[in-house]
Amino acid sequence: MFACIHGPAAGLKIIADAFSPWFEQTAPGTVVFPIDGLQRLYGSPHQIAQAIAQRAGRTVNIAIAETAESAILAARNFPGVTIAPQLDHLDLAGLPISEEMLETLDAWGIRDLQQLAQLPETGIAERFGEAGVYLQRLAKGAIHRPLRVFQPAITYDDRIELDHPVDLLEPLLFLIARILGEQCEKLQAHGMSAGEVAVRLELDDKTEHVRTLRLPVPMRDSQALLKLLQMDLEAHPPQAATLALSLSLKPALPRTIQSGIFLPAAPAPDKLELTLARIRGIVGENNAGVPELLNTHHPHPYRLVAQQPVIADLHPPNNHQAFRYFRPPITARVELQRDRPARIAASGIQGKVLNAAGPWRTSGDWWTQTAWNRDEWDITLTTGALYRIYREPDQRWFIEGAYD
Amino acid sequence: MTDVAHALVPSHGVDGASCATYIELHARSAFSFLEGSSVPEELVARAAELGQPALAILDRDNVSGAARFHMAAKKAGLRAHIGAGITCTDGFRYPLLAENRTGYQNLCRLITRMKLRASKGEGAATPEEFAEFSPGLVFLASRPDDRLLDLFGKKNVLVELQRHYNRAQEARNQALIAFARQHQLPLVATNGASHATPQSREALDVLTCVRHKVKIQEAGRLLSLNSERHLKSAQEMSRLFADLPEAIANTKELSDRLQFTLADLGYRFPRYPVPPGETMNSFLRKRVEEGARNRYVPNAFSAELHRRARRQIERELALIEKLDLSGYFLIVWDIVEFCRRQNILVQGRGSAANSAVCYSLGITAVDPVSMDLLFERFLSEERGEWPDIDLDLPSGDQRERAIQYVYQRYGQLGAAMTANVITYRGRSAVRDIGKVLGFEEPDLARISALIPAWGWTDPKETAERQFREAGYAPDHPLIAKFLDLYMTIQDLPRHLGQHSGGMVICEGQLDSVVPLEPATMPGRVVIQWDKEDCADMGIVKVDLLGLGMMAVLEESIQRIRESYSEEVDLAHLPQDDPQVYQALQNADTIGMFQVESSAQMSCLPRLRPERFYDIVVEVAIIRPGPIVGQMLNPYLRRRQGREKPECLHPALEPVLARTLGVPLFQEQLLRIAMIAANFTGGEAEELRRAMGFKRSQARMREIETRLRAGMTRNGITGQQQDTIVQSITSFALYGFPESHAASFALIAYASAYLKCHYLAAFTAAILNNQPMGFYAPATLVKDAQRHGLHFKPIDVTRSDWKCTIEEYNGENWVRLGLNYARGVRQQAAEAILRARAGQPFSSIQDLVNRVPELRKDELRKLSEIGAFNFIPQIPTHRRAALWDSELAIRPAGPLFVDSLAPADESPLVPMTAGERLNSDFRGTHLTIGRHPLQFHRETLNALGVTPARELKGIPNGRLVRIAGCVICRQRPGTAKGLLFLSLEDETGISNAVVMPDVFDRERATILNNSYIVIDGELQNIDGVYTVRAARFEPLHVAEEAVPSHDFH
Repeated sequence: MFACIHGPAAGLKIIADAFSPWFEQTAPGTVVFPIDGLQRLYGSPHQIAQAIAQRAGRTVNIAIAETAESAILAARNFPGVTIAPQLDHLDLAGLPISEEMLETLDAWGIRDLQQLAQLPETGIAERFGEAGVYLQRLAKGAIHRPLRVFQPAITYDDRIELDHPVDLLEPLLFLIARILGEQCEKLQAHGMSAGEVAVRLELDDKTEHVRTLRLPVPMRDSQALLKLLQMDLEAHPPQAATLALSLSLKPALPRTIQSGIFLPAAPAPDKLELTLARIRGIVGENNAGVPELLNTHHPHPYRLVAQQPVIADLHPPNNHQAFRYFRPPITARVELQRDRPARIAASGIQGKVLNAAGPWRTSGDWWTQTAWNRDEWDITLTTGALYRIYREPDQRWFIEGAYD
Repeated sequence: MTDVAHALVPSHGVDGASCATYIELHARSAFSFLEGSSVPEELVARAAELGQPALAILDRDNVSGAARFHMAAKKAGLRAHIGAGITCTDGFRYPLLAENRTGYQNLCRLITRMKLRASKGEGAATPEEFAEFSPGLVFLASRPDDRLLDLFGKKNVLVELQRHYNRAQEARNQALIAFARQHQLPLVATNGASHATPQSREALDVLTCVRHKVKIQEAGRLLSLNSERHLKSAQEMSRLFADLPEAIANTKELSDRLQFTLADLGYRFPRYPVPPGETMNSFLRKRVEEGARNRYVPNAFSAELHRRARRQIERELALIEKLDLSGYFLIVWDIVEFCRRQNILVQGRGSAANSAVCYSLGITAVDPVSMDLLFERFLSEERGEWPDIDLDLPSGDQRERAIQYVYQRYGQLGAAMTANVITYRGRSAVRDIGKVLGFEEPDLARISALIPAWGWTDPKETAERQFREAGYAPDHPLIAKFLDLYMTIQDLPRHLGQHSGGMVICEGQLDSVVPLEPATMPGRVVIQWDKEDCADMGIVKVDLLGLGMMAVLEESIQRIRESYSEEVDLAHLPQDDPQVYQALQNADTIGMFQVESSAQMSCLPRLRPERFYDIVVEVAIIRPGPIVGQMLNPYLRRRQGREKPECLHPALEPVLARTLGVPLFQEQLLRIAMIAANFTGGEAEELRRAMGFKRSQARMREIETRLRAGMTRNGITGQQQDTIVQSITSFALYGFPESHAASFALIAYASAYLKCHYLAAFTAAILNNQPMGFYAPATLVKDAQRHGLHFKPIDVTRSDWKCTIEEYNGENWVRLGLNYARGVRQQAAEAILRARAGQPFSSIQDLVNRVPELRKDELRKLSEIGAFNFIPQIPTHRRAALWDSELAIRPAGPLFVDSLAPADESPLVPMTAGERLNSDFRGTHLTIGRHPLQFHRETLNALGVTPARELKGIPNGRLVRIAGCVICRQRPGTAKGLLFLSLEDETGISNAVVMPDVFDRERATILNNSYIVIDGELQNIDGVYTVRAARFEPLHVAEEAVPSHDFH
């Protein structure tokens, strides 16, 4: 005999595993297993079902039947606990049936399993072939098949509960190093690397502190990973003492590269990532990265990203001269003559304007709350320097940057 | 430093620039289809506001907006320079301006050439073609390229400079200035205006996204850099070009040089090829003479009529000859003759029915002389408006044949369909803007649902309120922007479509009048102007319109010939047929042309038509015009003798006497305007045009002012004046010309006559020409059954593709055709007929073997609706057929492919009556069996439901309960929020009216249920019985329902 549990997917496997090491996960919300050895432990099928129900709670359906398929059908279609179910009047829609076949049977006036079972088997075979025969046997409860036994997927994670709340980073890192070492060895044994590492700290204040590092290249050097996590946790420390920590590594195929003989040696990716992480730690996360050109008329048509972006063909403005952005732009005082800049004064930059080209007017993002609209001028000063200045709608002036 | 220094031109912001005349010579309107966001009228209005004496619009690869531009400019006192931006195969777009008529004709030919060889909406001209068509065109060069001088000739090239405060553009300008200096070419400043005002830039950005099919968040550099592409004042442009004053001055010079306007179009009326020795005038006279001899036979009873007809014909012919329109009448006569030769039913409608010449030529079927119709409504020298003849043809293939005949006869460049400008309206605006702003599909569906789908719009239902009720905050920036854009892009052209039947004919040179484009339908050519543009430009056209009822009449006549062995001539139907008038008076009019709607039905018993003119009135009176103008009830009261016929003013008596003092027809309103307000013919023409098209509310208001002034001068003031003005303005959109109503009334009479006397033929024909009319086929079938007609089901051994007539027990029965088997293709059905013609089918397996075209799903459908029940060798029920079909469609394998072994006996239980009914509705959308409610009559009786048939006998004011399948929900814009419901049961149709407050309360029950029970007070007045609904309940009926005709 077989038992089937049908309900919310979470925890079903653990429940099944508690009753039988051989169970099948038929679908995310359905598990089925044999109960033949359980009579001695729990008693009658009814008592076995009660034991399962006790463990699984009320949110699942449980069915015990002669065959695995009958148990599955009953668990999927009848609420609560069902023992040796009567499936005769079960609606055909409860079967794993194609829409086309269901429509045809509906047109025939065949609505339940009993009606299907009563049709001549040859007639069904001639009309629906193997699939029809299978369904009819299913309807008759005549399918006997071996289970497809569940094999758990390999994971690279671990969790440690601490005896006492830990405030300091160092003891945490010690534990992290231990888990990392074990998991990296496991990765190596399976010929894999980690593409992402995540640490989850369960804190004393009932909150969680989760940090996830997406690695630029797959790595499995536990020391390098530990260093990266250390720097990240130093930059983003938890707000309360830690009660438990979990760490998980997302497996990825290791990178294989062959260096060219004539190519200059580049730093090893893990070393480079460590260096970049240090820089980000100093200047702030949003202020370091690779500039990526954006498809926009916006005066700042770029953003910083962690990795080298794919260069899209954006036809950037045809400026042959490099432009150096001041970040942030420098506030300036500008004197106008006949609506043109005549003199400028700003921190470290001042003088008479020799030539001014403009205004160059841009506006956009009008559908957002961050619409922009400004007039720019290109000016040369008596010093020979060439600047781009702009005026906001509120009449404030800024120096955007300098042409090299 | 070099590149930036290059841009260091003297600043644009120089004070004291002299304010020379500036003319925008490179504007783009919304007719650039998604590349401009202002209609020509807006651009003209803005240019006039800025004091510019002229304006040029150069739309992308078309002159579709040119006629509207020309008319708007004429009114505003501006000169409208015509041009276009033409795409070249080298990837650039060349702005061209027509200097003279040759230039305009070349422009049209160039566009036609490039368009006709490309697929719709595409096309580019080669450099060689630019050279070929360059005479008379001026080119604005916007890039320094020496080859351009060779293409257009140096004297026709000006170098165009635009300044939009754009760094890169200024760099290009410097190169252009150098190019101009090198070749001694004049510079000309333009602003490349894509919209009238800076605010329209947002709409332009949205349209850009629509064109590129991207969301605005992802559009990036496709969007405008700033909002500077609008029409600018001379002062602003002078300031921008302070360093190049000649570029501004040259705009005036170039404008002076551009002599062409559309007033000089050079269009000539079409010519008709006549035999040697004949002129078009003489040939027309002969044709009219011939026709008149048949139409007006002189005899003792009609001597006076005959004399009047002769006089009228002579008068009309003289005017036609004077206006050089003989060719046009001969062309229309030729089309009508073609139809007659090909047995295609044709009848002229509209104002042509005012003409005795048209009647004599067989173009129309209404005798204007005996009906005393106003010829001037059709044609008048004073009005300067050309005739517009509309021909009604059977919809479908027959109309297509007539159109193809015109193409064949006049050639691809000699005849074309008029365009239909598809503009942004309601839901299309919602969808396009929503998609661009990044709304998700479910949100779009919800917002679309907010747009009123029916005529009546509650004044309280503002967009803000609707949005709030739907769960969107109207003050949220994105929603606010959405609403704003939604309003802005209303009525902007979206793309060019094809008018359903308007044709322009121009003897081989149409492409020099207006560019031609390919239509979506192969072999069709469309001009770039719509109907109204053609009228504005004085181009005559003929409308070949498809009318479903014409197809029904034509098919009915053919079926009567075949099945009744009788010949029916629509031109000689017995007049004043008592059965016809009885049916009309009883509102027993389902399926009859123009008199079958529930509104018509509620009017008929009160109007009680007794003669043909009553039908003319009936056709015209149930229109928004008379209803809004509150003419319906006074007319009916006067007709019933409950009110004294009184004219609006004694002076109007001759005009209004025939309609009991109530103005109903356009002709009457024109005459009223002429008599009461001293309108001239020209003003009357303007009045009619303003009434005919809802192009401008402002135009209507202007006319009203003049109307009132005229009446005041004639001493018609106060209430009397208001009543007359209301009568006239309420015809704004829907008023019917009397002649048109008369033409329709003829068709209405013919349809009624055929239904009353040849019900089987009429029913078969109307079922074969769906969709059309007001009722679903299911209702038509039930109505015919109530009139004693019998039907036979779809049967693969007997049915044709169409419904046919079979004689049974000496009666004509209608056999449903395979066209009613939903999901069965005509191709498959015809394959069945071919196979059947050779040898009858012996079994379903035999049929499947011999009709390989039949798909699995089609076989199942046919089994399910019982179409196989009559094949020998199988049990005669649907499930048995399904059992056998399923076996037959399984591939048997090569060894058994020819096996015709009988199938095993079906183990399936036959369908119950209810199941058969559901199969019928699912498979054919109708049933010839019992009405669904017949299965429930006992229950309904127990509920106290009155069958529809019995309502007639219940006194007015009594509370009743009715129930049925909802076959129609209507909420007309003219009914102030009232909802009209029609329910069908097995005995007939009952009607209910729902007050706005009841509708608000019961909305869900009314809209979401196919079967409902209504309680309310019966209003049984003058033979019209309607339930004033107070309470609704869903009626739980398991059977499928007749499809409802909702909110059309």
